[in-house]
Amino acid sequence: MAQADFTPNVWVNRQHPQPARKAPPSEVGVLGWLRANLFSSIGNTLLTLLTAVVVYTLVPNIIAWVAEANWFPVWANRKLLAVGGYPAERLMQPMLILMLLSFLFGVSGGRWGSIVRNVAIGLGVILLLWTVAPTGSWVQVRMGIALALLVVGYLIGRFLPVPNRVLALAWVLFIPIGLLLLSGGIRLFGLAWFPWGPPVPSNLWGGLLLTSLLTIIGISCSFPIGVALALGRRSNLPAIRYFCIAYIEFIRGVPLISLLFMAMVVLPLFLPAGMTNPANVTRAVIAITLFSAAYLAETVRGGLAAVPKGQYEAADALGLGGWQKLRMIVLPQALRAVIPALVGQFIGLFKDTSLVALVGLTDFLNAGRSVLVQPAWSQIAGGITYEVYLAIAVVYLVFSFGMSWASRSLEHQLGVGKR
Amino acid sequence: MSQATLPATPQQSTPFYRDVRMIGILAQVAFVIIIILVGAFLLNNVRAGLRANGRVFSWNFLNQTAGFEIAEGPTFLTSDTYRRAFVVGAINTLRVAGIGIVLATLLGVTIGIARLSTNWLVRTLATIYVEIIRNTPLLVQLFFWYFAVILSLPDIRNAINMPGLGMISNRGVQLSWPFITVTGSGWRIWLLGALIAAVLVGIWQRRRLRAQGKLVGGFGVASLTFLLVAVIGYGVTYLTADLPANMTYELRRGDRGTLYVDANANGAYDNNVDRPLAFVLVNLLAEDGSMLATTRTDNEGAFIFTDLGEQQGESITWEKPTPVIISRPQMQGFNARGGLPIKPEYAGLLLGLVIYTAAFISEIVRAGINSVPKGQWEASRALGLNAGATLRMVVLPQALRVAIPPMTSQFLNLTKNSSLAVAVGYPDLFGVSQTILNQSGAELQIFVMLMGTYLSFSLITSAFTNWYNRRMSLKER
Repeated sequence: MAQADFTPNVWVNRQHPQPARKAPPSEVGVLGWLRANLFSSIGNTLLTLLTAVVVYTLVPNIIAWVAEANWFPVWANRKLLAVGGYPAERLMQPMLILMLLSFLFGVSGGRWGSIVRNVAIGLGVILLLWTVAPTGSWVQVRMGIALALLVVGYLIGRFLPVPNRVLALAWVLFIPIGLLLLSGGIRLFGLAWFPWGPPVPSNLWGGLLLTSLLTIIGISCSFPIGVALALGRRSNLPAIRYFCIAYIEFIRGVPLISLLFMAMVVLPLFLPAGMTNPANVTRAVIAITLFSAAYLAETVRGGLAAVPKGQYEAADALGLGGWQKLRMIVLPQALRAVIPALVGQFIGLFKDTSLVALVGLTDFLNAGRSVLVQPAWSQIAGGITYEVYLAIAVVYLVFSFGMSWASRSLEHQLGVGKR
Repeated sequence: MSQATLPATPQQSTPFYRDVRMIGILAQVAFVIIIILVGAFLLNNVRAGLRANGRVFSWNFLNQTAGFEIAEGPTFLTSDTYRRAFVVGAINTLRVAGIGIVLATLLGVTIGIARLSTNWLVRTLATIYVEIIRNTPLLVQLFFWYFAVILSLPDIRNAINMPGLGMISNRGVQLSWPFITVTGSGWRIWLLGALIAAVLVGIWQRRRLRAQGKLVGGFGVASLTFLLVAVIGYGVTYLTADLPANMTYELRRGDRGTLYVDANANGAYDNNVDRPLAFVLVNLLAEDGSMLATTRTDNEGAFIFTDLGEQQGESITWEKPTPVIISRPQMQGFNARGGLPIKPEYAGLLLGLVIYTAAFISEIVRAGINSVPKGQWEASRALGLNAGATLRMVVLPQALRVAIPPMTSQFLNLTKNSSLAVAVGYPDLFGVSQTILNQSGAELQIFVMLMGTYLSFSLITSAFTNWYNRRMSLKER
């Protein structure tokens, strides 16, 4: 062939290559970064200068305001903000829940790692802050104990073979035990057991305690309903499918506040005569659960759609029954695919519980608002409205942002879409 | 055949309780029966409960007199019915949602682009904004904007003046705003005509350009047409329009009164019969005919002359106004008059909703633009399209396909979130329903009406989204 006559018409010096010249100082290091990110063109430079002027005028003012603002009313009301009207002499009960929660998070964080560990670390930081904060009371000691339990739990989970099943069972039991501790006992079939004195009625539960309670119970009750609705919406039985579609679209079409309000006003109408009205907290939980279930269903449906058809067929080929197929093949894959979205939903629910303030519950937001009307602060010049609302917002921000930060690493670990 | 190797099985029909189809049908029947039973149980409880309280379920309460006031929106008198109150509430919801959607989209797109900026400072600030707003509850933000920010603004006497824009105080915002005057009513038809002409010219120009094989355009020519027709119309309206016949006025205490058309010709101003004349320049004359002062009637035809001192006017004259005037707010005594007043409740609600929703919209915009592969930019540059054409013809159509469905769901969220208006006392659909419920005690009826109205908003939105998805879905061949 003609190949043999090929001669290169470019001569390349392979023996003595010139060493690469150094990049000019304007392209690397701090200078290079500045040029690429702030001054890449005339327009960009102008934009940078303009923004810098705005930042430069605003930030010192904001810092000065924060330093001068009167944060004392918020600090003085820390008990109100934390637990609302919960009787002061019974504070040991919610504290026990916190200790139990710390221990459980410690063990789970050590055992499962990833997002749970991140949340456990976040909880640990908060406990540490309260342990060292000069509250000058038993709170410091109790927070210290909770922190110690968290650390011990973490070590147990990390180095001892705790079975997943036991841990999961502990979490399932956590909610009833927590409620029992909160009300201070239990009344069952005429038998009453209240070791710490009279029961604490739920209208005294408040503050961050109530907000977390609504969030945790809301998400745990709505999760099974949401999964069932998602499966129902994909069912090939039309009666069930249309019912699920109607439910989901109805709930997603109306605002949460209208559901909450209706749970307060209309729900009693639907109860049989002679049945006592459920407590306000219970009604709020019902509304939040019904609301959240519809949104969860749509998220889970996305996960179900992401499970390849081959997985169903393979499960069929292995001879798994319908329930086994769902539990062992479909749901684990579907739920894993949507964990980040579920965390997002959890954060959304946490924020949405603030709406119960509009139907008269003393959640964290309303506890904060009640600080505003305390007569002790009426003499403060300029009022304390800014301080109180900013403090409320910062607490919500820390929790929500913390959770979204904790879940951020998750997407990489799970390798969503990469398996 | 292979029959020989298999043991002969007798042909047996599956028993019906093992038949998948049969199980499905039975399960559905059982499900429907359970639903009906639960529903019947609940309805029965309602019936029993109502009867026990001696109440009946009826819609007659809608015709009862409401007896409360609605501070915003279309005129509502205390003598109007509950039915009209509900409608006014719905209009108020749409009033805040419509403006909110437009403003949130503008802000959201800006922030979304800022988050993709190559400028570190801009990018970081946008990220901080989005993270803070998305991670705090909307209700907290609404309370903050209304109670902490708006209500602690200076009072009306010390209102913050924004030259040319309006005034801000704890009574809300008063914007300088263009209004169409009594001589300008004909101009609206001109504007409509200008719009039609612009669309037609745009389409014609686009066809012409396409026939020449050029990139599509025509927006510039269309805008020019609109402007031209509108300006000509303005001139013509001003020259031809005249002030209405039998105009008259009332002058009280020598310095204030009302300018109106005396429709029933009885010589006195009757509130609901005579037509007040807004935005007309009036001059106050003394007894000897010398001019003392000049002012403009407000949107209800009322005028008041200030800084007269001891002097008193005897009569007024008026001048023909231009078709459109820009009304600027001015302090008169302890009130600001003129301009477009925006109540603090509306301002607070709108501010909160816009800032909150914009953060979510910015994320959608960012995801939409990021979803267009880098190769698409490079390929269109390689084809010789400039930056503008690349954005308009290659990137945006692909980004919008991703962004529009979640965007409409954000618009719907904004509409639903506007029900938090109760927190700041703005009388929206939900707030008005709550008042009606408290007064009339018709829980179930209100429940049905309220949910039905919100659901219809939602169904209209999802109908649009489905239509859009079908239209824009990738045509795979």
